[in-house]
Amino acid sequence: MKPHRFFRSRSIHNNIAISFSLLILCTTIVLSYTSYRLSSAAVMGNSLAYTSQLIEQVKLNIENYISNMESISALVLTSSDLEKYVKGSSSGQEGKVKDKQLASQYLRSVVQSRTDISSIVYASSEGITVSDRLDAVLKPLPELIAQEWYQQAVNQTGVAVSSSHVQHIFQDEYRWVVSISRKLSDTFSEMEADRQGVLLVDLNYSVINNLCKQIELGKRGYVFIVDPSGSLVYHPQQQLIYSQLKFEQLETVLGIKSGSVTVNTGNEQKLYTVDTTSFGWKIVGVTYPDDLVANKQQMQGTAALWGAVSLIFAMAISVLLSYALTKPLKNLEINMKKAERGEFDIRVEIESTNEIGKLARTFNLMIMKIKELMSQIVMEQEMKRVSELKALQAQIKPHFLYNTLDSIIWMAETGKMEEVVEMTSSLSKLLRSTIGEGEELIPIARELEHIRHYLTIQNMRYRHKFTYSIEVQEDILKCSILKLVLQPLVENAIYHGIKHNPEQGHILIRGKREHNDITIQIIDNGVGVNPEQMGKLLLQKADYRMGSGVGVANVNHRIQLYFGDHYGLSFESEMEEGTTVTLRIPALYEEENP
Amino acid sequence: MSSLWSKIGLSALLLFFIIALGWVGYRMFTNELDPKVRTIIYVPKTIDTSIEFWEVMKQGVATAAKEFGADVHTIGTDTELDVDKQIQLLEQAIEEKPDAIILAATDYYRLVPVAEQIKAAGITLITVDSGLNGGVSESFIATDNYKAGRKAAQELIENIHSDDQVAIMNFVPGTATAIEREKGVRDALSQNGVDHVHDTLYSNGSSQKAYQLTVELLKNQPQLKGIIGLNEPSTLGAGLAIMDLGLKSKVKLVGFDNSSSEVHLLEKEIMLGTVIQKPFTMGYLAVKTALEVVSGHKVDSVMDTGSEFITKENMYTSENEKLMFPFIE
Repeated sequence: MKPHRFFRSRSIHNNIAISFSLLILCTTIVLSYTSYRLSSAAVMGNSLAYTSQLIEQVKLNIENYISNMESISALVLTSSDLEKYVKGSSSGQEGKVKDKQLASQYLRSVVQSRTDISSIVYASSEGITVSDRLDAVLKPLPELIAQEWYQQAVNQTGVAVSSSHVQHIFQDEYRWVVSISRKLSDTFSEMEADRQGVLLVDLNYSVINNLCKQIELGKRGYVFIVDPSGSLVYHPQQQLIYSQLKFEQLETVLGIKSGSVTVNTGNEQKLYTVDTTSFGWKIVGVTYPDDLVANKQQMQGTAALWGAVSLIFAMAISVLLSYALTKPLKNLEINMKKAERGEFDIRVEIESTNEIGKLARTFNLMIMKIKELMSQIVMEQEMKRVSELKALQAQIKPHFLYNTLDSIIWMAETGKMEEVVEMTSSLSKLLRSTIGEGEELIPIARELEHIRHYLTIQNMRYRHKFTYSIEVQEDILKCSILKLVLQPLVENAIYHGIKHNPEQGHILIRGKREHNDITIQIIDNGVGVNPEQMGKLLLQKADYRMGSGVGVANVNHRIQLYFGDHYGLSFESEMEEGTTVTLRIPALYEEENP
Repeated sequence: MSSLWSKIGLSALLLFFIIALGWVGYRMFTNELDPKVRTIIYVPKTIDTSIEFWEVMKQGVATAAKEFGADVHTIGTDTELDVDKQIQLLEQAIEEKPDAIILAATDYYRLVPVAEQIKAAGITLITVDSGLNGGVSESFIATDNYKAGRKAAQELIENIHSDDQVAIMNFVPGTATAIEREKGVRDALSQNGVDHVHDTLYSNGSSQKAYQLTVELLKNQPQLKGIIGLNEPSTLGAGLAIMDLGLKSKVKLVGFDNSSSEVHLLEKEIMLGTVIQKPFTMGYLAVKTALEVVSGHKVDSVMDTGSEFITKENMYTSENEKLMFPFIE
């Protein structure tokens, strides 16, 4: 299977880093999110349970208050003082006033025994009214009977519980109360049906207010109470609701008996926790989900922070890991590049025994082998060069010997004994110096000595057909030169320049120093060489069986083999004027010889 | 090309982490900052607890403070007339370097310099109920008195004939509230063809003065059919005068504000009705607005908290009960 394009285009290092990073990123996000969700749900659940408990507690307290009021009203109705006055059993105006006073006194004693009762009033349709107050003036009867507490009690059996309201039964007294009213006929069953009377017990609103106010539901949460008709009994922001600055979803609340519901009011989300009292009031705990999980943001922050921290750690580790993994590869690559450039003195450090370590070991072995092979080649080349040189030198000797010996034989035949002696003497010196010590480099002075002997021999052979002179600077005499390089050049000058010249020729050997080089020129005034021939002179293969021309090529070849391609021979020639051969070698003094 | 792409990929990853870290850091940082409680100094005209209006406004302030988690201190003078003391208190308040000051100015002009100082100190200034000349504050939260005046007049107009004579019992000449209310009243009257409006009477905020002026007026102008009292003492004085002269059904009275004496007049049907303000809403909105300004939101420079016309009939409805008979703990 081919790797995906995405992976093909990147280095292993990046691939590992990116893959790890993505893997870690996903894992961290999933883990952080899950842990956040779980803990948030746990906190939410706890808060909900707590809120429900609180709301139930409020409900129980309120039920307790109301049932207390109910029992008080029941108790009051069994009072003989009240019954006496209501039934009008006493005859005469005076008796009635006295009964009313007794009844009022009884009611007062009940009210005074409890701080949460605001007032107790009895009113009946036929005009009997009595309250716990001695001095306060009740409003006129028609107004009282028209009021809600009275009407509600009359229209229903049992006890009527009002919403919170301002009680205005007394002149100039406006108190906030919750009214518990009870129809008299329910208890005084023996009374005639058309005689209606209602007993009103007013509960101080501050009781409920204080109860609800102290409930803390998170930072902003609160409790409100709504009665079955949908009017608010208690709400900390009642005025804002009436001013329509705030909203509560009362329809939703009224539809729930108990439990929780999330609603949207205005632009905010609220959580209603509802519980219903036995007489129908709904106690509603309002919490803000954001607020409920008070540390939601903190939890988010913590989850995100630890997610990010572990992410960064993991990233760093993944980058380091991928770096550590690919480092030996990179190292190997660098070394391979070096090998590519021809450096073989390298060795990859092997740090591990894994696949890359094996690779490196193999690479090292390979480089070692290459190095071995290379040095073997160099050695062989060197040997080949030396043997070639030896061969070249060795092949000069017989070539010259034949010619000289021919001359000697010819002179001996013609009886020129003196010349035979001279020539033989020169030849013997020449051979001595040639075969001599066998070294390759010799001082220029010795080479010149050698050429003098040679010229002596040749001059005799060609019967003084030419003259010669040697002009070499003193200071280069001690410089080294390859052995037997001048002789083939002089030989060439004689055979190709002087020999065919009808006049007596002249050979000049001039040596001088040019900067770091030494030039030795062999100048003849012979027939010259045509350019075509001259071009061939240096190109001729070292085929020694051919004429003397090959000797020049040999010289050039030897110089270049020994000193390099910068050195060697050059020719200048003009037909019928002569030829100049210039030999160029580096100026090497004996002690500097390689 | 490939190395370019991987460079881009790595840079993107790196950038992502930096952003992620930055975000987390920011969240932590703001989490640290968020619980920082804003401090607000609330300076009503008076801290006299017997004056219902300011007590109710204080409830509104406290409700908002709890809801928005602000720390509100109340400082103030014992009477509404102690302008110098209020200035001095404000100077002290500046020293405390609160985030905001909510001020009910005792004087329309004299508190302007100290208000400028508050602004110069970088403190958000919100005026409530009574504003300042030149609109120095970020927002002025109060009853729209012009509208309230119109509302009162409108109710009177419906109960008289357009050619009936009407009198206005104002309180202090030159007070912004008084001027606005009277303007509203006069505009509504003239637009409805009620042209027989007597010269404005000034009670100077005293119910006795209002009583005397009304008695004189009713004696001299037997044709008078309606009186509009522009604040509580003015209305009360006029109402008592009507009651004492036995002109209950002949002269219609509409007024302003709510006191138990006024409730009494309403129940006795001497008054048609009264326009009441919403101090709770004022207090609540003042804190809310102050916090909005502090957190850099834009707010309206003037906010109307509204007013209600209360009659004997609607006085005990659950909506109006709370306004008319505020529950003071």
